[in-house]
Amino acid sequence: MMKKLAVFAFLMISFSSFAQLERKLENENQPVDLIFHAPRHINILTVEPLDKKSMHFAIMHTFGTLNGGIENLFGLDNGANIQFSFEFALTDKLSAGISRSSRDKVYNLYGRYLLLEQTQNDKMPFSLSLAGGAGVNTSRYDFLPEPAPNFSERSSYFGQVMLARKFSEKISLQLTPMMAYFVDPRSVYQIEGDQNFYLALGLSGKFKVTDRSSLTLQYIPNLNSDLRSNVGIGWDVEAGGHVFQMYFVTSQALNEQYLLAGGNGVPGEEFRLGFNVNRIFAIGQKKRKY
Amino acid sequence: MRNLIIAFLFFLPSLAFSQSFKTESGEAIFLSKAPLNEFTGESEKLKGLIDLEKNLVDFYLDLNTLKTGIGLRDRHMRENYLETDKFPFAEFTGKMKSIPALNTGTTYPVAVVGKFKIHGIERNVEITGNLQKTSSGNLELKAKFDILLGDYEIPLPKLVFYELAEKQEVSINATLKPVK
Repeated sequence: MMKKLAVFAFLMISFSSFAQLERKLENENQPVDLIFHAPRHINILTVEPLDKKSMHFAIMHTFGTLNGGIENLFGLDNGANIQFSFEFALTDKLSAGISRSSRDKVYNLYGRYLLLEQTQNDKMPFSLSLAGGAGVNTSRYDFLPEPAPNFSERSSYFGQVMLARKFSEKISLQLTPMMAYFVDPRSVYQIEGDQNFYLALGLSGKFKVTDRSSLTLQYIPNLNSDLRSNVGIGWDVEAGGHVFQMYFVTSQALNEQYLLAGGNGVPGEEFRLGFNVNRIFAIGQKKRKY
Repeated sequence: MRNLIIAFLFFLPSLAFSQSFKTESGEAIFLSKAPLNEFTGESEKLKGLIDLEKNLVDFYLDLNTLKTGIGLRDRHMRENYLETDKFPFAEFTGKMKSIPALNTGTTYPVAVVGKFKIHGIERNVEITGNLQKTSSGNLELKAKFDILLGDYEIPLPKLVFYELAEKQEVSINATLKPVK
């Protein structure tokens, strides 16, 4: 009797599947969406890709230290380091960017490539991206008694690997081994380090608090220098087409090389307010508005 | 009992050869008209079945295939609004109020009643559209209906009300081929 019932049940199931269409995903290996809110997370580039023919525009600011109190409006009076960056997606995986930060007037050219993308079915459990770039310090050094540095002596390079995983709807983490190289790290440059080569391990965390905002964390211990480690804590908000990122961080540096060589204040005492605005524009398409 | 099973076995092939029509590539367009921003989410992967014999109308769309033209907006749509990792499909299953004669070349207005499901919420809906049998034996379906995001527990934050409309105007455009 049980057997017959089983056969009957089986037939009922096949009967119903004949009646309705079977629901099937178009792509079983659907990538995970938004491991991070934006291609930047506090200061570090993320694995978040850009879609072909889109451009990521970011304005980043870091102000003076908070410990001046209300007299200096918590560091806002002390002048900001500002970085503008434009990153263009050449394909869905490869993008090229240019940035300019006001500290030492550094122009950076960089590229970012998404090698692996985490999928919802966990067949690929993480995303992996590479980034690298070259920068040049364009400050005037006419005031120096010795000859001003030449182009090569002004250049610096960086390379990093971003390994990220969205562990749950709420929690994403990224590990970022980073390195930077200064051809001639002069003391007149606004960096604390005097080495040529810097190695560090970036740790980024996102904890989603509401549908559109997250608590963000950044910790960048230096691996081959005595410089303090970078610590940052912040808040990301998606508002319409913008992602706003507000944070407290121990360094005023914004580009990758300066982030590693620039030095850091004591966490808690010498935090600075930072603020990024991220926006993605579609280019070469009919619909421009977000 | 055995007779019942045999009856089912006889019944199955007749179902497979019934008067049913299918599509794998229907078009679905969601139009959002917010005060400051008008955009569409479009897909050409609408799957559909119309069975005239059993009066069954069954459609579903993998919402991951919906594209607005801006990748980041697609990601926000999937992650914040539709939550496609949990609820990947928009589905409709129902029947026609009355099955039209479907003479070749004539367009018939049809009304279907059934359940529409998106974001894991199911509601009874009535949708009107036009159905036509073409000379090649296909069924052409065009339908338009509105859905209110609130009805399906898709929250619309006050900050973005000017970017995203509460009322989504859905258009369906599909050519269904007879199942052999």
